[in-house]
Amino acid sequence: MAKITKTLETLMRQALDGDKCAYADLLRETAHFLRPFLKQKLSSKHDVEDLLQEILLSIHKARHTYNDLRPYKPWAYAIAKFRLLDYLRTRYADHLRFAIEVSEVENTLHEDVTEPRISYESINGEIFKLPEKQALILQMMHQEGYTAKEVAEKISMTETAVKVAAHRAYKTLKRHLEE
Amino acid sequence: MMDTIEQLIKTLTEDDTKLRPAPHPFMQSLKWIVAAAAYLAIALVFSGLRPDIMHVIENKWFIVELVALFGIFVATSVSSSLLAFPDLHQKRIITFAPIPMFALFLLVIFFAWSADNLPAFLPEHTYECTYCIMIVSLLPAIWTFYSLRKYASIHYRLAGGLALLSASSIGALWLRLYEVNDSIIHVVEWHYLPMLVVGFIGLWLGEIILKW
Repeated sequence: MAKITKTLETLMRQALDGDKCAYADLLRETAHFLRPFLKQKLSSKHDVEDLLQEILLSIHKARHTYNDLRPYKPWAYAIAKFRLLDYLRTRYADHLRFAIEVSEVENTLHEDVTEPRISYESINGEIFKLPEKQALILQMMHQEGYTAKEVAEKISMTETAVKVAAHRAYKTLKRHLEE
Repeated sequence: MMDTIEQLIKTLTEDDTKLRPAPHPFMQSLKWIVAAAAYLAIALVFSGLRPDIMHVIENKWFIVELVALFGIFVATSVSSSLLAFPDLHQKRIITFAPIPMFALFLLVIFFAWSADNLPAFLPEHTYECTYCIMIVSLLPAIWTFYSLRKYASIHYRLAGGLALLSASSIGALWLRLYEVNDSIIHVVEWHYLPMLVVGFIGLWLGEIILKW
């Protein structure tokens, strides 16, 4: 590992001194160690290669900010991460830009293929067969939209008692509807 | 696909554009500090020092305030020059230097305000101070941004924010040495809080100017 790091630093120093072969080797080595890193982050092989090209270009543009007194890899990875985030940001921004609002297409969507859920109105008759208090609680919660706490305040019960009564009502209703 | 990479490597190696190696960030910030000191001296030669300068330098809190403000200038300069490098020149911890400096500065302002037992009169002017700080800070701000643009910051927003804080602290230093005013409330309201606002503007400018 130490040998590779030293090699990369030496290659960069030689590249900055104008050695084209060393520079080509360095870029090849860089592509070699960055490719697995990008493959972990991106699923498409095409995206990996696209981004790798962008990163190599960025490394080329920023090469004057490196000197061989510090390790090469953290410098190269910093640029790679920066370009990766930029790439993902642009990509997801494009996805959002070209996304279609559901409201725009809802008229062209097929009708529901499943049965609609049971509504309060459809089982109205069954509810009125329940004890008066339980029927009142269900009416307030499901028809008038009150919360259990609000129902409790209105009919002078505790919130827990309202929830228990509602639960018992559901069980009774379920039994009646199954019969 | 591999051929495309090989082709790109070939193109890049054939690019003969010469780039000047970036100086060490500490040398870069030292250059900014020396230039700022010279600029401050010239600005004071033109504007003149406050007439009561011999009297106010006897106030230890005034001196401590100036030293802390200069500390903010140095810390923000060093930090923004480190942020100009993609890997922060592998000195990440030093980029946080402005945080303790700001904490120290707040403490100094608090003690100076506490020591101001018989609160000094509020000057009649208000926003004019902010305006003067902005004018004096303009040149250092342009220079700092120009220098930062030559590098490759991946934290361009932070670099921009700190660059403007650094520039506006020079303006604030100049005004403290020029304006006859001892009201801490005024100084906080019209000198230092606008500096923070300028720092936030720098975050936005950094994205526009320093992104590469």
